[in-house]
Amino acid sequence: MIDTPMQESIQNNESTYEERFFLVLAVFIGIFSGLAVVCFRLAIDWTRVGLLGPAPQAHDWRLLFVPAVVSLFLAALVIHVFPAARDSGVSQTKSALYIYNGFIPFRTAIGKFICAAVAIGAGHSLGPEDPSLQIGAAIASGLGRRMQLSRDKLRLLAPVGAAAGLAAAFNAPISAVLFVIEEVIGRWSAGVLGSVVLSAISSVVVMRWFLGSQPLFRIPPVAFEGPVELIAYALLGFAGGLAAVIFAKSIGYFRPRLRALPGWTQYLQPAVAGLLIGLIGYFGAPQVMGAGYQYMDEAMHGQFTWQFLAILAGLKIIATVLSFISRTPGGMFAPTLFIGAMLGGAVGGIEHHFYPHLTGSVATYALVGMGVLFAGFLRVPLTSVFMVLEVSGNYSIIVPVIVANTIAYVLSRSLQPVPIFDLLARQDGLALPNLEEQRDESVLRVEDAMQSPDDVVLNAEETVAAANLMLEKSSADVFLVRLSPTGWSSVSRKLLMQWMGEGKGEMTLGSALPTGRLPHLHPDYPLEMALRYVYQTPLVPVVNRADFRKLEGVISSEAVLAKYHVVSR
Amino acid sequence: MIGMTVVPQDQKAHLNDLLSKLVMMLHSRLQSLGRRRTLVFAVLSVLAIVSFLAVSKLVKRYSEQERALARHMYAQGQADQQTGRPDLALEDYRAALLYDRDNSQYQLSLARALRDSGRTEEAETYLLKLWEANPQDGAVNLALGRLYARRGSIENALHYYHNAIYGTWPGNADKVRNDAEFELVEFLLKANAAPQAQAELISFAAARPADTAIQLRIANLFMQAQDYEHALVRFREVLSQDPRNALAAAGAGEAAFALGRYRHAESYLRIAAILNPQDEQIRELLQTTGMMLESDPFMRGISDAERTRRIRAAYTQAGSRLDSCAKQQGIDLQQASASPAPASDLVSLHNRWIDIKPKMKNPAVAAVEEENGNSVISLVGSIEQETATLCGPPTGMDKVLLLISQEPASSDTGADK
Repeated sequence: MIDTPMQESIQNNESTYEERFFLVLAVFIGIFSGLAVVCFRLAIDWTRVGLLGPAPQAHDWRLLFVPAVVSLFLAALVIHVFPAARDSGVSQTKSALYIYNGFIPFRTAIGKFICAAVAIGAGHSLGPEDPSLQIGAAIASGLGRRMQLSRDKLRLLAPVGAAAGLAAAFNAPISAVLFVIEEVIGRWSAGVLGSVVLSAISSVVVMRWFLGSQPLFRIPPVAFEGPVELIAYALLGFAGGLAAVIFAKSIGYFRPRLRALPGWTQYLQPAVAGLLIGLIGYFGAPQVMGAGYQYMDEAMHGQFTWQFLAILAGLKIIATVLSFISRTPGGMFAPTLFIGAMLGGAVGGIEHHFYPHLTGSVATYALVGMGVLFAGFLRVPLTSVFMVLEVSGNYSIIVPVIVANTIAYVLSRSLQPVPIFDLLARQDGLALPNLEEQRDESVLRVEDAMQSPDDVVLNAEETVAAANLMLEKSSADVFLVRLSPTGWSSVSRKLLMQWMGEGKGEMTLGSALPTGRLPHLHPDYPLEMALRYVYQTPLVPVVNRADFRKLEGVISSEAVLAKYHVVSR
Repeated sequence: MIGMTVVPQDQKAHLNDLLSKLVMMLHSRLQSLGRRRTLVFAVLSVLAIVSFLAVSKLVKRYSEQERALARHMYAQGQADQQTGRPDLALEDYRAALLYDRDNSQYQLSLARALRDSGRTEEAETYLLKLWEANPQDGAVNLALGRLYARRGSIENALHYYHNAIYGTWPGNADKVRNDAEFELVEFLLKANAAPQAQAELISFAAARPADTAIQLRIANLFMQAQDYEHALVRFREVLSQDPRNALAAAGAGEAAFALGRYRHAESYLRIAAILNPQDEQIRELLQTTGMMLESDPFMRGISDAERTRRIRAAYTQAGSRLDSCAKQQGIDLQQASASPAPASDLVSLHNRWIDIKPKMKNPAVAAVEEENGNSVISLVGSIEQETATLCGPPTGMDKVLLLISQEPASSDTGADK
């Protein structure tokens, strides 16, 4: 391409304009997502108070009937009016990104809002974060369409909105940004990172403006005193990893089986799940109903015995599996945190029972437990660590969090190779990219395909005649020419012979060659990058990063293809 | 990477021309798109402001509703607690906190309900959390003090009671501080920590204004802590302000009696008996005091003859008490004394009593003095103690003799004797 100053200037202006525009749009997405999430939270609370009363307690008859009866209505609403409101919002946002070019119908957001608020308010064991994420993504998608954005930009908007929705729901912008990058986008892209961060922060500011800046649960002082206690946290990581696998496998096993049942049962499944959850609540554990943030708060303040905490963790797994496999709208973030907090508190309590000298409080174990389940079940190790730190505002527990989360993550990966969101997508017949696998894939690099540069290098200072002498010693058709002071060019055997025939033998190669330089590569570049150049020139120089005149190798289209051929075989 | 390909000059000019046209077209399209987007942004801004206002109204209504629910649940909790159902109350308080979770009054009530329902560990966690948020809060410190008092942890209870006494209180702080101080002393006395209780009372008495009701309560607590000296000072203080205070006069009499200052005791008790003639206890103590004054052989200012008479009277009374108790126990002292090994302590005491009888019968005063009055009174004391153990608490003169034998030193040194 030839760049004129005017063209360059306009291109730069256009690029800057687009970037600025995208950033401003991200702020608006954050604002509207924040407003939507605030309304969503109010809707959940109002529904809960209206349906279950201000303080649901065991042996309250409403717990028995309300979830079941409301679920009947909800099933009809979801089947006939808002079919897209079912299932995981994360998977649906990923579908929008990878399949539907960033398109999420606004109706989905309305459906999620109404159905999830009713479901959670009626006591289903689900959380508001996943729907919030999708509501944010839908708002972003809608705004993007209004702005007539390009397909690429429209695709990027869904994660921007998702981050805004999740950040407002969690009151934790860093975790939301990390989650979207780790689970939805799958890669760190400078193009979208700024927008994701801006939207997340905008939505959190809006949410805090209306609902205050206090976190979802109050964290008592947590501390990590000595490295010996890491063993205790490692045990928690192990327990959490196992719980995460049980949780994920239960969903993975029962969900397709329930979906395979006759169509009319779809009307009854949420009601049966609601009835069973209502029974759990009625007979002594109303804590498992709804998102359960206040009970996480109570668990962290030592208001339950470790035995009861263990029971709550087990019952919450059952209740959440029931709610989720019946395709009741709602998310799994809050239940995951709940199970983690209860399990962490229980493990901490047991360890304290046998080793009273351990200094970690129940709150510390509960907090680490949340991260453990996040890492093990949702399979977002980086987010899980930052989520705990952001929620607690305490960096002193980073070591136990990392140890426990890593153990849970590794254990969960080995026992349940497919992450839960990918599993759900596959069950729905969607081939969404497995971002965990992508991260682990080994990348082919230029150094894997480059060849030795022997006998194909000439210097620009050499004469054409001297270069012709080389032809006799080499069988190569193309030679690289090292230019002075730096840079590379190439010359073919045929051209050298032609120059000799034209009597240019005494000319140096540098003066005989046309101006212009060859592109060059470095050995660590991905091999795909070589594909951009190997068809422009027969040989591409691969040079040292510290000394561009030092040739590490050469690469040709044949070498690249041969490498891919070997790998594919 | 630097990508440059060589392009002939004529093609270059053509391409430049084409590109310029394309760029101009794009530029104008961008300008029109920009105008459209500016318009959309303006609409979005208006929409955002309108949404903000609408959501503000919603949130305001929601907050009001939440606060109303919280107040309702809190009132219900208080009603439950007043009717002695802390288990129900704590659920109500929890519900109240669900809607107003930073309300320290609700939090404190929940912690109290937890404590009252025996869930002290949960209450402790909760209270410590509140304490961390506001270490000066008197109510939180008092609740923590009570919690540790219930657990019997004197050190922690002292720490938090002190914090409560010197902490911040809304309204009438003096009253709650005084109550907390009294509560702490009563706890210390119950926990058999009399020295700490005394120390608390001394500093409390010094710090508090001369309110007679408070001074009287302090004096009574000094009495409970068996610090009769300070108790007497406090009772006197009250009497100096209110000479017709029957309780103070009776207390001063009791304190003086306990200190062996029988003359002072008698005068205070006489005043108390006049001010409160129905009080049998005062009259009884007054009677005992009178008998003490008439019977104590170690009292200063009495003649040797009177001292001897008192010792003899004590000796005779002890002998009678020994006989009557032995009969009550079915022991024939005459017969038992004849056997070489005494069968019981009563017999052994009887033998000792018999041994000094000849000297006690001697009309010469010198014989009694020779025998040493202390050892006689010591024997009298032993007889009274043993008979009290075997035959029930002594009354009248026997009770007086027991007191004299128990406090020979004070009887001897009493400044007012």
